[in-house]
Amino acid sequence: MSQIADPTVVPLRDPTILERLGSSMVSLGRFLRGKPLGGSGLIVVVIFIFVALLAPFIQRHDPDKIFEGPNPDYKANPTVIELARNPDVGSPVVVEQFVEPSSGHWFGTDKFGRDIWSQVVHGARLSLIVGLGASVIAVVGGLIIGMISAYYAGLVDLLIQRLVDMLQAIPFLVLVLVFTQITERSVLNVVLWLGVAGLAITTRLIRSAVLGVRESEFVLAARVVGASDLRIMIRHVLPNVVAVLIIAFSIGIGAYILAEASISFLGAGPQGIPSWGQMVQAGRGSLDLHPWQTVFAGAAIMLIVLGFNLLGDALRDVLDPRLRGA
Amino acid sequence: MQGYIIRRIVGAVFVVFLVGTFSFFAIRVLPGDFATASLGLDAGSANAETIAQRKADLGLDLPIGEQYANWLWDTVRLDLGTSFLTQNSVWYEIGRSLPYSLELGVLIMIVGFTVAIPVGLISAIFQDKALDYSLRGLAILALAAPVFWTAAIASLVVLQWDLFLIDVIGQPHLWEDPGRAITWYLIPMFAGGFAGTATTMRLLRSQMLEVLRQDYVRTARSKGLTESAVIIRHALRNALLPVLTVMGVTIATIIGSQVILENMFNIPGIGNKVLTSLFSRDNPVFQSVVLIIAVFTVLTNLVVDIMYGVIDPRIRLS
Repeated sequence: MSQIADPTVVPLRDPTILERLGSSMVSLGRFLRGKPLGGSGLIVVVIFIFVALLAPFIQRHDPDKIFEGPNPDYKANPTVIELARNPDVGSPVVVEQFVEPSSGHWFGTDKFGRDIWSQVVHGARLSLIVGLGASVIAVVGGLIIGMISAYYAGLVDLLIQRLVDMLQAIPFLVLVLVFTQITERSVLNVVLWLGVAGLAITTRLIRSAVLGVRESEFVLAARVVGASDLRIMIRHVLPNVVAVLIIAFSIGIGAYILAEASISFLGAGPQGIPSWGQMVQAGRGSLDLHPWQTVFAGAAIMLIVLGFNLLGDALRDVLDPRLRGA
Repeated sequence: MQGYIIRRIVGAVFVVFLVGTFSFFAIRVLPGDFATASLGLDAGSANAETIAQRKADLGLDLPIGEQYANWLWDTVRLDLGTSFLTQNSVWYEIGRSLPYSLELGVLIMIVGFTVAIPVGLISAIFQDKALDYSLRGLAILALAAPVFWTAAIASLVVLQWDLFLIDVIGQPHLWEDPGRAITWYLIPMFAGGFAGTATTMRLLRSQMLEVLRQDYVRTARSKGLTESAVIIRHALRNALLPVLTVMGVTIATIIGSQVILENMFNIPGIGNKVLTSLFSRDNPVFQSVVLIIAVFTVLTNLVVDIMYGVIDPRIRLS
């Protein structure tokens, strides 16, 4: 008798986070219309992902190729005085440095005669890896630490909170600079350290979300039934903080990309891969006459961060309207 | 209330202690040290013996625990030691560079808040109008643009227009030569101001929107107050409170952008000291400079929290 569900009684419950996310994502068009800014952010992000994935096809030249052209001042047998005036006079070809944007080089060439468009295209890879990778690390780490901190309250919580305070009392950039100096500055290490530096913020966000769930009746009920701490955390707490996880993940990405660009700008970024921050710095030497490298690399940083920020804001509004403007 | 303040102060002191400990160990964990680096420059003369001698001179040969105990004891007595690099006392170095950073920081905040507060207000009043959208768009752009890029483009524009020539000889303080000092600080203060306060503007806007829906605002309106009185006297004052609470974060952001801006514009401030001492492994200067920055942010948070507790009694309990 009791097994037969009464069809007229619809179980009353709040839609779960996944359902809410699903309902706004199922029809992408509706999301785009409802959140035009978030939609445009999504488009920007998707374009950059394609650019990064297809960089070898989108580049028009090898980013490391040095372009050379005929030397207009070439003389077959220069005198010593001519050589002293212009050391290049004896060579038939010279490096085509600082070419203005044209059909051959869409963004022009840099000081070493390399195609700026191709470099900017390849720079998308580093920024995306750094942004997404560091955010994943920060959220996963923040989830574990934040859950432990909130769930076990007391001394553990106090200690973790003070450590979080400590990390937040140091400017993010300084923290990242120190961390990334510890190990060799490979891309992987930089991603890892950026994520570690971001732990403070994600831990704080997730801890407060878990604190809210911890006092709820279904957690109490689970405890009464005799569920273990681990089971309660995974089965009952985790699904209810998914929204905060998604928010923490998406709003952090832009900050990590900016941090990587900043340390690259200061000459302490990952080595052996084209980086937009490093390109902005490289272009500064000839900024007054040939600003293109700085202009385009910086614009790329701004655009990708803008895309992620807009998307993150929209996701936050959809998933948790209370956090609006936070 | 007293108990609350005491608890907060104890917490703040503990956090500063943690930051000091962190920076002490961080600079020592990094590969390389000052003794090796400084001798490495004269190649050939640096053998193991001279390096060891140099380390002993600098006190780097002691066991880490002893170094830490010494550092702790010295710092508690406010003795910050001597810079490896310049051989000056660290207090002297800080005394020379802190005024520059404070000047730039205050200018950045003045620019930031004089832009952010009216803009946030206007944006909230004209909610969902074209003006609101364009102002919010600008704030989102300011948030996304790297501060070093904004500053580079600004200096490009300024130099192209030849508005004025930046003096590369010396950096006067504001109180010495205001005209030249402002010229010097102009680009960094605007670049930093826009980057640092876009968050403030957005927060103020959303707070204003919430406050404007409150009953007491309706009451004020129905009393027949002018719209400007309602917005400034009743709404803005309440909306500014949450903006105050993020002051600590705002200041941390501004200090972060100052590190880059001081490096770009050769301002010999604290931010520049962080970089040079970090890269040259100048332990005493690095530890002290990070400590000072932490004291600033922690103190701001403390003052804000206590003020907030005074204004809003509900906070004290939590």
